[in-house]
Order: sequence, then structure tokens, then C-alpha cells
Amino acid sequence: MDAAIRATVNRMDFSRRLRVYALESRAQFLSVWRVPAFSVPTLVFPLMFYVFFGIIMGTRGLSLVMPTYLLATYGVFGIIGPALFGFGLGLSTERSDGTLLLKQTTPMPPAAYLVAKLSMALLFSSLIILGLFCMGGYLAGVELYRWQWFTLAGVLLLSTLPFCAMGLAIGTWVKAQAAMALVNAVYLPMAFLSGLWFPVMAFPTVLQKLANIFPAYHAAQLCLKVIDMDQGQSAVLHLGVLIFYTMAFLALAAVGMRRPLA
Amino acid sequence: MRFETGQLDRGVILILVGLAVFVLVLATLPTPRTTPDEVTPRGDFAIVDVLLFDGEQFQEHRDVWVEQGRIKAVGRKLALPDDLPRVAGQGRTLLPGLIDAHVHSFGDVLSDSVRFGATTVLDQFTALDLTPNRVADRSSIGFSGAADLFSAGMLATAPGGHGTQYGMQVDTLTAPEQARDWVRARKEEGSDWIKIVIEDGSAYDFQLAALDRATIAAVIEAAHAEDLLAVAHVSRLSAALMAVELGIDGLVHVWADQLISDADAARIADAGVFVTPTLAVIASVAGQTPSRDLAGSLDADLLSAMQSSTLEGQFGATSEHDLDIALQNVGRLHRAGVTILAGTDVPNPGTASGLSLHVELDLLVQAGLTPAEALAAATSLAATAYGLDDRGRVADQQLADLVLIAGDIRGDVSFSSRIARLWKDGEPVTRRLQRKPDQAFPMAPSVTLISSFDTGLESSFGAGWFPSTDDVRGGQSAAELEVVDGALRISGDIKPGFPFPWAGAIWFPGDQPMAPLDFSGRTTLRFRARGDQRNYTVMVFGASMPAGAPPSASFQVSDQWSQLEFPLDGFNVGGVISGLSFVAQAPHGTFQLEIDDVIID
Repeated sequence: MDAAIRATVNRMDFSRRLRVYALESRAQFLSVWRVPAFSVPTLVFPLMFYVFFGIIMGTRGLSLVMPTYLLATYGVFGIIGPALFGFGLGLSTERSDGTLLLKQTTPMPPAAYLVAKLSMALLFSSLIILGLFCMGGYLAGVELYRWQWFTLAGVLLLSTLPFCAMGLAIGTWVKAQAAMALVNAVYLPMAFLSGLWFPVMAFPTVLQKLANIFPAYHAAQLCLKVIDMDQGQSAVLHLGVLIFYTMAFLALAAVGMRRPLA
Repeated sequence: MRFETGQLDRGVILILVGLAVFVLVLATLPTPRTTPDEVTPRGDFAIVDVLLFDGEQFQEHRDVWVEQGRIKAVGRKLALPDDLPRVAGQGRTLLPGLIDAHVHSFGDVLSDSVRFGATTVLDQFTALDLTPNRVADRSSIGFSGAADLFSAGMLATAPGGHGTQYGMQVDTLTAPEQARDWVRARKEEGSDWIKIVIEDGSAYDFQLAALDRATIAAVIEAAHAEDLLAVAHVSRLSAALMAVELGIDGLVHVWADQLISDADAARIADAGVFVTPTLAVIASVAGQTPSRDLAGSLDADLLSAMQSSTLEGQFGATSEHDLDIALQNVGRLHRAGVTILAGTDVPNPGTASGLSLHVELDLLVQAGLTPAEALAAATSLAATAYGLDDRGRVADQQLADLVLIAGDIRGDVSFSSRIARLWKDGEPVTRRLQRKPDQAFPMAPSVTLISSFDTGLESSFGAGWFPSTDDVRGGQSAAELEVVDGALRISGDIKPGFPFPWAGAIWFPGDQPMAPLDFSGRTTLRFRARGDQRNYTVMVFGASMPAGAPPSASFQVSDQWSQLEFPLDGFNVGGVISGLSFVAQAPHGTFQLEIDDVIID
């Protein structure tokens, strides 16, 4: 059967193949969108935090440093959510309840499943970015050069990749029930320790050094570099660390996928 | 498996629309608003996202908010009111208004300085009654077209010593006991600190009377007793070390006679004595022309007549002055930790007010200071050394004296040709001078003999000869003209009352006093003279009244007639003459001068 499916898929021309990808993406998005337990926190939390820390508390003085800084870091916080939850929770749930197995029996190319999940994450990230940027620009009074708005958005979208990979690794290795706990255990502490909620400069030196181990820190520094508020480390370092984490998590996930379901 | 094409097309459209919305929203987000570059805002405004030198160090991406002539806030991403005019700072460097820590203020020095970003000047010897408004000007907000002036006023020197040769009345000292009263008199006059001359002329190959060690010590002590700083003019290492030993606060030249040892440099550092090397003027003494070279690269309408004229000047003496030694001394002092300030000694020959401060910055970097250290020498360090707490830094409540420069100057402090905007007290400074179109003046009659005085005071043309004294400027000097034995006899008395006293005779070539005539084609002024043995001055007035001293040359006479000749080029009036005067100046006392056969040919 496997060979037959392969043959079917191979016969699919490009536009048909594209449709499979598009439909699967749409299905993934809708399935997530329709679960308020996922969509509401991932969409609303970054925006809500930004309103509180960035706008209400951040614009009290003469300076717009806080709302500008937090625009980048809550941006990173925002894009981590859909990536980690979508991949981590989604995959482990779909593995546990058999959905994935079902999908694997269809002629859909296996990559479509991953692409669909990635598209879903990027779409959610885009919504978060738009929401944050509009609040920053129109409510907090943040002004950035046009190239900075676009570059920041671009860097944020690219930064979803390592967290998708991280989610993938969690999803392949951990069962659904445990995945929820693990994702949350990673998500919030990593966000805090990477300086996504408060500037990393405000940390004790030890914590500042510790931050270097988290991919979220490097993603945030890369975003902050766009608006000249980073710690002054090299962009190559941040990119290197992010690429390393992406590859490492993908490798971990590849091994994990081959394991039989417990 | 079936695919619903309609549904999919809708999906594609949805994705495209989504992308378009995403791009559109990003493209319309607020960007830094700036005022169009043609407008220089005044009073209340901000400079945004600029590379700031705050007086001590460089800071990137700073906003500087100016309100009512002072700095209201400095920081990143300031929350500025929507209607506040904003100057784009991207790709530019902002500095505090510069402080030239060694000038002599007369003529156009203050207005020329400010046009080159030197918004404050520290004068090291002038007649304070020439600038009666200086205290009001510098302590009020509002731009008067000139740099703020702080001054030593009169200097402490010996009779006939350095400082007495400029034709102004100097209150000299001869003994330590006079120091206290002398310093009090300076304080009364408004001196902001005390300047002491320690100079025997030997570094310039001549002999000068000088204060003795005890008197110098007494003046320093008296200055400190009156809570005034004491600074010293020195031109030799030995003089510098003596001044430091006697408790001086600052040295306002570096010496070029010999290298200082590291141990001596450390002593100066330990004593907390600052040094203002004035490398720009030392370069000129050494026969180099860095200021003139820099001026050559600038637009001509940036230079005033006075700047052009002082740039052309040269120190006559061929001395052993060596700029390299001076530069090395500055390097050693700096490495030892001595505070170095930027000063120029304008408007000495070969320098130009304002412009030469940029030369000084360059030379300080050559001597081993970093660009930031050189800039600090011209801003915060000068302010601290002289106790000026409202300037020299870009910080809250400081005066909004600001220089905005095109480009990043961290690598290269020669920025005089790159000044994009300039503010004094938050008011824009107009850098370029309005040139009057070249006026045509009536040609002078071709006769070359002006007056032979054979039949009286008349001249072959023009309004004729008149007495000329400092009473027009509030002085007391007097002069009388009479024709005796076919010559003009000028007798008079030079009296105190004006810092630059004069008395003598003036001839007006035009029908009216000071009406210019065109003498182009003529090259030489000739006359015969005899009289009391003292210095006299011949002055030639050009098309307009100079703000400072008119172009002049000095001559000496004896009781025998002598023939004197002066090239007209030397007076720099471009062939146009509105007045010609023969006068006596300081020192005080009576004089008699006889003039005959005045010829311009």
C-alpha cells in the first residue's frame, strides 16, 4: 500500500500538490483557531502584557524606551507561543489520539503536515506582530524607521523556526499529557530569563550570562539589534546559536519520530 | 480524492489579501517625523536619533529636547510632543557648543568664533570696558550674534613686559606688595580669573622685562584669596615648572623649547594644573599655516574680513619654536593625566577666530588625544576647569549651545566644513556672511602728492586734514595741528581714559570725512617725518569702518627728517582709502610729530 500511495502522490502535478499543502494548512489553522484554549492565550497574552507593561507602565516618563524595547521582546514572546504549542502540543496530541497515523495513511505528502503546522504558526505570529506593532505605534507612540518596522517583522517571523523545531522535538518525545506541562515549563521561564518581559540589563550579572543559553534570548537580541537596543553582541553569534538550536531540535525530532508510540 | 477548485482559489485570494494587509499595515506604522531640512527651528525643538557627544563620551541614537534656550531632556526615544519641530539627527553628530579656552577678544573675534561653533570663549587678556555687556549677554538666554565671553581682563606683567606692546594701557606690577591691590582692582573691573605673564622673551629671541618670582607668587596667592583662578602665560618649560611650584591653576600655552620629563609631567598632573597648549598659534609661530590651509578648503563667505586678514598674518621672528616639541609635550602631559584644554590664542597672526579651534582639535589628536578626548578638551573639561556649570555638556538644564555636524566624527575631528546646523541659546546661528556687492568708488584724482604743507594745511584733493583723538570713544587724549616751516606739526598728549588711547592727524581723501576713493593702481605711501623719539602709527582706513583696530603700521622718528615708505598692500584695504592717519598711541604722555610731503603713488 505504501508503494501505491507513493505512486499516487508522485503522479500528482505541482498545482495539485500545492492544493494538498494549502488545504492541510487551512485545516490545521481552523482546528487550532477553533480551540480557544490555544488561540486566545497565544494571541491575547502578548498583547495584554504589552498593554500593561509597555503602554500603561512604560509611557509614564519622558522616554519611550520601554514601549520600544518591549515591542521587540513581546514580539518574540508572541511568536514562541504558536510555535511551541502548535508543534509541541499539537503533534504529541495528534500522535497520541491517532490523528497523525490517520493522516499518514492518506496520499498527502508527509511534508504537508509539517508545512501546514509551520504556516499555522507563521499566520498566528503575523497576527500577533500586527497587533503589537499597531498598539506600539498608535497607542504607545513608538516611532521606527520604515525599514526597522519591516525588518523587525521579518526577523520575528524567521525567529519562529527554532521554536517550531523545539516544539517538534517535544511533540515527538513527550506524550500529550506531559507535553502540556513541559511546554509551559519551558515557555514561561525561558521567556522571563531571556529578557522578554524585563530588559536583560536589569538582571544580575549571573542571570545575564545565563540568558545566553536560551534561543529566546538570541532571537530577542537579534530583534533588538534592528532597533539598536541590543546588548552589543554580534548578530552572527545570535544567528549561529539560533541555527544550531534549530538543527539540534530537528535532529532530536527526527530520532523521536522513529520511536514507536509508547 | 476531489479538490474543490473554487474553495482553493478563494484560499489563495485570502492569502494574498492577508499578505497585502500585512505589508500595508507595516508600511503605514509611525516613522520618526522630522522637520524639513531647509528649516532650522528655534526656541523649542528636538534633534532626534543623533550620535551625541555629550561633552565626555559618544552616545548613539539620542534625542535632545531643547526648550526656551536650554536643554530640557536628553535620552533615547524621548516622548516628544507631537507638534515639536524635530531635526533629523540620523547620520549626524551633535556636540555641545565649543569653548575656545584662549582668545583675545576684540574686533570680530566673538562673532567669528560663534559662526564656527565656538559658542563660548575664554579671553586671556583684553580691555574689559570694550565689552560692557558681556556678563548680561552670557547669563541671559537669547542670542546676540556673538560667543559668550569670560575674561581674565587685564594681565599681570612687568612695566615694558609682554602684554604692554599692543598699544593699550596696562596696569603693571613691580613688587609683591602690590599684588593684593592689583588683584582686587581686577576683581572690581570684572576679571573672571587672573592671568599672569611669565615671559622674558628668550623663547622668541628678544629681551622683555618680566615679573620676578616673588611677585608671581604674591599674585597667585592674592588671586586665591579672592577666590579667583590664576593662570599663567609661559613659553619655556622652566617657567611652567616654576608656575606649578608656586601654585598656579592653569598654564595657557604649552612650551616648545624642550621636552618635559615624565616625572615633571606627573608633578603637573598631581598638582591638578590644567594646560591649554594653543598649538594652533604655536604652529603659526613655527612658520606653519594649518589655519590658512583649512580656510582654503572652506567657502569664502564663511570668512570675515578680520579672519581673512589675521590668516594672512605671520610672526616675523624666526625663533627656535618647534611644533613637534610642543606636540610631544602635549602627548606626555596627557599621558601623565594632565587636563588638556583646547585654546587657540586667536586672533594672532596665522590664526582665525573659530576656525583655528578646529585646527587645535586636529593638533590635539595629532599630539595623542583620542577624538573624544580632544572634544572634551573643547567642551566639558574647559567648563569644569573654569567653573562654568551651565555649558560644555549636552545634559539637562545646560544652555542649548549645539553644533550639529554631517557624518560621524568619531574617526575624524576635522569637521569645520561639515557643520550642518548651529545653535546658540537655542537660536540658529547664521554661519555665512552677507557679502555686500563690490561697490564702485570714485577714482582718486591722478595727482600723487597729497600735501606738501608749503602754503598751509590744504591738500591737493579731499576734505583735508583734521585732528583725530580717542575722545570720540570716550578718551581724554588731545591733538593740535599747525603748519610750521612748510610741514605739518602734530602735537598732543596721550591720556588715560580709553584702553587703546590715540591722538594725531587724519586726512580724508573724499569730499566728506570717511568717503572712500579708489586708489587702485597706486602701490606706496611715502612721507617725511621727524619728532619725539617714540613709536608712531600710520593707519589706512578702507571702504568700511573696521570693527577692531584699522590696518596700521608703526614707525619711529628722530629729530632729523627721515623718508618713510609703506607698501599699500600691507594695509589690506584693496586699493580703497577713506582715511589716512598719523597718530601716537600708548604710553601716556605728550608728543610732537612733524609730517611732510605725503605722497600716494
